[in-house]
Amino acid sequence: MDLYEHKILLVDDEPALRRMVGGFLTKAGFQNVVYAGTCLEAEAVCRREAPHLILLDVMLPDGDGFSLFDRLHRETAAPVIFLSARDEDESRLRGLGLGADDYITKPFLPEELILRVTAVLKRVYRIREEKQEDRVIDLGDCRINLGSGVVRRKYAAGNSTDGESGGNGGGQNDAAADDIEATLTAKEYAIIEKLAENRGRIVTIDALCDAVWREGNYGYENTLIVHIRRLREKLEEDPSHPKHLLTARGLGYKLV
Amino acid sequence: MKKEKDHFYRSQKFMRAFQYSIFMTVGITMLVAALNLGFFIVSLYVYVRGDVFSIGGGEVREALSITENGYMLADDMAQKLTDKEQWAILLDAEGRELWSYRKPVELPDSYSRADIARMTRWYLDGYPVWLRVWEDEIMVMGAGKGTVWKYPVEFPISWMEYMKQVGFYYVLINIVWIVLLAAFFTRRFMRNREQARIEWIAGISHDIRTPLSMVMGYADTLEQNGELSEEARQQAAVIRHQSIVMKELIADLNLTSQLEYSMQPLRMEKIRPAQAIRNVAAAFLNDDADGNLEIEVEIDAQAEQIMLRADEQLLQRAFRNLILNSIKHGGQSETVEIGIRMQEERRRFIKPLRNGDRFVICFEDNGAGYSEEVLRRLRDNKKSDANPNIRGLEIVKKIVLAHGGKVRFGNREEGGSFCEMRFFTVKD
Repeated sequence: MDLYEHKILLVDDEPALRRMVGGFLTKAGFQNVVYAGTCLEAEAVCRREAPHLILLDVMLPDGDGFSLFDRLHRETAAPVIFLSARDEDESRLRGLGLGADDYITKPFLPEELILRVTAVLKRVYRIREEKQEDRVIDLGDCRINLGSGVVRRKYAAGNSTDGESGGNGGGQNDAAADDIEATLTAKEYAIIEKLAENRGRIVTIDALCDAVWREGNYGYENTLIVHIRRLREKLEEDPSHPKHLLTARGLGYKLV
Repeated sequence: MKKEKDHFYRSQKFMRAFQYSIFMTVGITMLVAALNLGFFIVSLYVYVRGDVFSIGGGEVREALSITENGYMLADDMAQKLTDKEQWAILLDAEGRELWSYRKPVELPDSYSRADIARMTRWYLDGYPVWLRVWEDEIMVMGAGKGTVWKYPVEFPISWMEYMKQVGFYYVLINIVWIVLLAAFFTRRFMRNREQARIEWIAGISHDIRTPLSMVMGYADTLEQNGELSEEARQQAAVIRHQSIVMKELIADLNLTSQLEYSMQPLRMEKIRPAQAIRNVAAAFLNDDADGNLEIEVEIDAQAEQIMLRADEQLLQRAFRNLILNSIKHGGQSETVEIGIRMQEERRRFIKPLRNGDRFVICFEDNGAGYSEEVLRRLRDNKKSDANPNIRGLEIVKKIVLAHGGKVRFGNREEGGSFCEMRFFTVKD
């Protein structure tokens, strides 16, 4: 199903706000938007329309969004994004692990709303469509295939394909005989995946450790350094002067 | 949860409540004392004026004169006794009646030693009496049955001595009691008042957010609208930008009120501050499109492992505010340089009172430094007329205090400002 065909239920008691948010969604391309103003109405509409995503105001005239969320979740598996107008809710949303998919604090900018709605929809409905084989990280003279976990690097400096390397992403056809191939270990794979998700941005040591060793494993910083060095040997032409896998001193690493 | 709340009671807020309760105690005690004294004086005055007290035996004896017909009572005294419905008997040493005035008819003319001994303290046939020995005569003054309640009071001397020793403590305990009681009620009272205020602020900020959503949303829409003139879109951009400023103001207002009255229990967890520092620093560097920001983070190996009981979101908020402040008051140089250090602080000579070592997190920048006015404001916590905009820094201060830490703002000798925060670690 196309992203924009998903049906969105917007629950908010303020008609003007419903109109505005509905307008944003429509403008962004979402054609199926249904509305409800109360808990009661929300339950009825939810049963009738079976939405794919619910935008839920925390404070409703006939009850609060949290308990409505519990009731809705018994009937539908649709993801829920809370709209909240109070900081107190924020801490509650963060801490209780209600199972909500995201929350937005009022007031918000349209782009923020659309970004979150799109992200949640993609995460929940399209995760299986994005096949691992298609995920290729292109670093110019080096290409990492996340499907197979293979790194292929052009050998020697001054190779001729530099100019077009950015353009033909997705293809693996131009493998030359003199390319250097290396396979990533599971840990290296986890690191590069995390860095690629946040390409161009610093990923902290802590986030990397979390990605590789999961929660609660502190004191792996030194091991991480070892893995980074091995990764550089596979990715970089000159591992001691990296061009792609850069160090942000004291903070973490970033992939450019 | 209890423990976290205790942090607050060590803070200035508690001191204010404490002073308030002392004031209340002293006030209430003085009020009660004044009321009691007033009542006593007024009642005494009414009593004396009503002349209810019995007339003394001596007075009556002096009004008696001996004539050849026997004893004679002066007329004015006779009148007085009649008015007050009192009577009098004069006895000789043997208990025989020498003279009497308005004596009840059922009373005898002579009294045995046993009778006299009995009546000295109690009653005579149900009449309240007072005895006065006058040379070798005894003057018995009496009043009507059921008009006076008599009770002899006596205490063992040893008890009196004992009371002299413990009396001080007894009074002290009483005072402590009163103070504690007043403090309890004061705190309850203050809490309710604060709770109401926090809820009011939370309510207002909630109510503002929904309309502000629409201001922000539509301003953004107008700004994006290609059909409008460039000028109109510029104006829409200003509205959008200002609505974001308002959003931040509301969030600050809410946070400040909650931190000030510490009603909202902090969401305390065991966290690693080093991680929080990196998170915040990385986020700023990632959002810094122009590359004008340099943040150097220095965390030594021991500090890396330090754990703190904290509300991580709040702590990160404090760090963010410090960096934002450095960016805002960048000073002359192009790039804003910020240094963040975190170190363990071992105190060898003074045993830490609380379990856990201290550590320090220090933010430094190369900016213009804090003005005297700002530093004074941060130190004294007093509102002054020249009101520098230090909301962000005040929030930093409140967050650190809410975590049982200490904070110090200042200027570096080589230029730029620093903010030093000290916390206690958690021992596993």
